[in-house]
Amino acid sequence: MPARDVNDNAGHQHKRGAFAFFAGKPAPTEGWLSLLQGWKYVALPDAHFDYEACLSACARGEQRALRQLYEQDSSRLLGVALRIVRDKALAEDVVHDAFMKIWHGAGSFDPSRGSARGWVFSVTRHLALNHVRNHHREVALGEEHEQLAAPHDTFEFPARAGLMHTCLQQLDPARRNCILHAYVDGYSHSEIASRLGTPLGTVKAWIKRSLAALRECMA
Amino acid sequence: MNETLDELASEYVLGTLPAEQRAEVEQRLPHDAQLRAAVDAWEQRLFPLTVLAEPVPPSAELWRRIQRNLAPAQPREGWWNLLALWRGLAGAGLVTTLVLAALLLTRPPALAPSFVVVLVAPQNQAPGWVIQASNNQQIQLIPLGVMEVPADKALQFWTKGDGWQGPVSLGLVKPGQTLSVPLDKLPPLAPNQLFELTLEDPRGSPTGKPTGPIQAIGRAVKVL
Repeated sequence: MPARDVNDNAGHQHKRGAFAFFAGKPAPTEGWLSLLQGWKYVALPDAHFDYEACLSACARGEQRALRQLYEQDSSRLLGVALRIVRDKALAEDVVHDAFMKIWHGAGSFDPSRGSARGWVFSVTRHLALNHVRNHHREVALGEEHEQLAAPHDTFEFPARAGLMHTCLQQLDPARRNCILHAYVDGYSHSEIASRLGTPLGTVKAWIKRSLAALRECMA
Repeated sequence: MNETLDELASEYVLGTLPAEQRAEVEQRLPHDAQLRAAVDAWEQRLFPLTVLAEPVPPSAELWRRIQRNLAPAQPREGWWNLLALWRGLAGAGLVTTLVLAALLLTRPPALAPSFVVVLVAPQNQAPGWVIQASNNQQIQLIPLGVMEVPADKALQFWTKGDGWQGPVSLGLVKPGQTLSVPLDKLPPLAPNQLFELTLEDPRGSPTGKPTGPIQAIGRAVKVL
């Protein structure tokens, strides 16, 4: 793993963390890594936390289990929501609603449909997405928004990249950015088009083809 | 797999669908197993991108808010079990008792005015009935003898206070019967209030006012 080589000098940090790249420094290596120009600590989930057991306990009405889930992931969930809704109070509303949905929906969670942790995050993410889509954030796209969005122009990846990142690496950088802005920032087609200064039709086609490519690569 | 369906699922998970299409997908999901499978697969594929959002510690208030709203269905403490309520009522009751006890001990007994009426025959002034009232809400009609009443007639009892529009019926009376009559729907008994017995139809006066001859009449007198 290339990440290990670079992160030796900071290996004493939190053992549950991993190191991620961030923008702003000269590129150290070729290819995939050329995108990622520095290291940044990103906390990774506790491998020992049993999300499925936690959801079962929630389904039995054990508030302690929900509290544990909150302690485990509320910061990460808030981070996900905040990137999309871009307002801390709104993002907290989203996380609040997500915990309500998790609490009441824990009983209907079906492990055969995917990981429990994935479900917790997708509940939160879709609530945030629904919020920005339903409130037509497009109208707010202006200079102010450009400033807000600016720090996220380049994406930071944790060292444990995996198949997803290998496949993303194979995409043209502009197309990769479309996917990342959509997934992480909750940008609509037109927001991405105006953000990247690319025609709307082109953005739509890029996204469609990039998704197809990702699907094929990850199959 | 259906390509259009997979495209829809992928853009739903990616987040680029407009509001109407998002709502459509979310409505279809519970019933459409194929779409659900496609969405689930895309959720898993793209999930690793979640780590790109930096964690942000929530405010201390957020958990409290969540916890407050967790179980609105939990039964609230019923009023029956509210200690404060019963403490308050017991305290108020005790205070009332003490105040009343003090009033009873410090004030001379205030007796309710007592009235007596003697009903006499209008022709010869012979007393036929007595009315006693130890309070002004109830009176007792006591016969002093047995009055003769024709078989097809009944005795009806009336009263009229000063300033009333007309006599008010207190009901039918059998000769020789002692009768208790509540006055709770009438003004309190007052001095000089008129009482009379008239001969009426067996079911009482058809007009609601005395129509037959007066058999006995008298006025209330306050007894000191």
